[in-house]
Amino acid sequence: MTSTSRVLRALAPRQIATLTLLLLAACMLTVSQALAHNVTAGDAGYIQEIWGVKIIPFIYLGAKHMVTGYDHILFLLGVVFFLYKMKDVGIYVSLFAIGHSVTMLLGVWYGWGINAYIIDAIIGLSVVYKALDNLGYYQKWFGFQPNTKAATLIFGLFHGTGLATKILEYDIPQDGLLANLLAFNVGVEVGQLLALAVILIVMGYWRRHPDFMRQATIANLVMMGLGIWLTGYQIADYIAST
Amino acid sequence: MNNAPKPNLEDLPTKAQLFRSSVIAGIGAVAILVTIYLPAEHAIDPTGVGRVLGLTKMGEIKLELAAEAEADRLLDEQLGQDQSSSVLDAVFGLFVGTAHAQEAQEVWRDEVTFTLEPGASAEVKMTMEAGNVVDYAWTTTGGRVNFDLHAHGGGESIDYERGRGETAGEGNIEAPFAGNHGWFWRNRDSTAITITIQLRGDYSEIVQSN
Repeated sequence: MTSTSRVLRALAPRQIATLTLLLLAACMLTVSQALAHNVTAGDAGYIQEIWGVKIIPFIYLGAKHMVTGYDHILFLLGVVFFLYKMKDVGIYVSLFAIGHSVTMLLGVWYGWGINAYIIDAIIGLSVVYKALDNLGYYQKWFGFQPNTKAATLIFGLFHGTGLATKILEYDIPQDGLLANLLAFNVGVEVGQLLALAVILIVMGYWRRHPDFMRQATIANLVMMGLGIWLTGYQIADYIAST
Repeated sequence: MNNAPKPNLEDLPTKAQLFRSSVIAGIGAVAILVTIYLPAEHAIDPTGVGRVLGLTKMGEIKLELAAEAEADRLLDEQLGQDQSSSVLDAVFGLFVGTAHAQEAQEVWRDEVTFTLEPGASAEVKMTMEAGNVVDYAWTTTGGRVNFDLHAHGGGESIDYERGRGETAGEGNIEAPFAGNHGWFWRNRDSTAITITIQLRGDYSEIVQSN
């Protein structure tokens, strides 16, 4: 009895809050955008009404895209989950930033139109991959540890391709494209740092908890579940769209 | 089970550091909410910072588009019930005086000229039967214009072409269904714009509304 209640109490405030946040973020998936046929509303609508260089609005849009991009945030959370030193956080987050910047900029500039569902399914798999990595399954299954830095960079490339696909849908005007695109990229990194700050504060409190390691196992299993769900959802949408 | 050792307490930020970070993050979040988010999403700008950054303009455009999308949806529902797409246009519609273009190498049937103040919008549409073709050419003076060349009604819709910050255009459209086909124009520039449209082809009338 006492051990059960201790577990519940341990689980209670922080982890439940974290899980609730994750689930809430996941639920945003189901809010589909039903747009009227002539008027495009929201961010895309704004972009389709303007032209020329608009640095700060595009920084804002980039940051918003990252902060509200639950798939990117989940992967970021997975990457820094067990990084206790700020130096490591800096290295891995930079690798992820380099990866997604490269494909985002090149993807938009050369108009690589990749199916949004497929790329989002891959991004969902990146979350599953990182959760399994955090749980130590690769060493258990294959007897070796795949390079985590390389994985962060490579999945960063996929995340950037996803970003590029979304930006192409925004239909940024040719007039001012390069400057606006770079501003959007700066915004994505600003948004990533804002999200990272919140993640590190929450993790900072959580890691001090005596039951952190056990709760971490549960959290990574949940993260894996969300990754599978994201992937399945995107595949289902892909099948429905064909 | 986990692919990492238990963290050493000395590697972790202290509770005092975490508390300080939390306070800074909280203040930062409120500052972002007031100076960035509210202007950019809802055009609410108590500090005036959003206006300087160009974000309040974004919020205003979003609010305007959201209202138009809602009006569009209601109109569509109504038209879906009426099954007659021309009723509403007839209410607003007014015949546009025809001024025959000079008989140069291109003979146009009609020429429509109007002026849009900054932020203003207007529609110019041709009443066409399915399969009808209309040639057009238009230019602007005084600024650059946004447009949506489209048609909708009775559950059908088509988007021929969209543009922003343009000063001229030409081409032709072939109507896939009967109804009013033409442009929605909006001036997002900072000065008044005069738009001149030349038309020829198969249409029964020109309907203009604003």
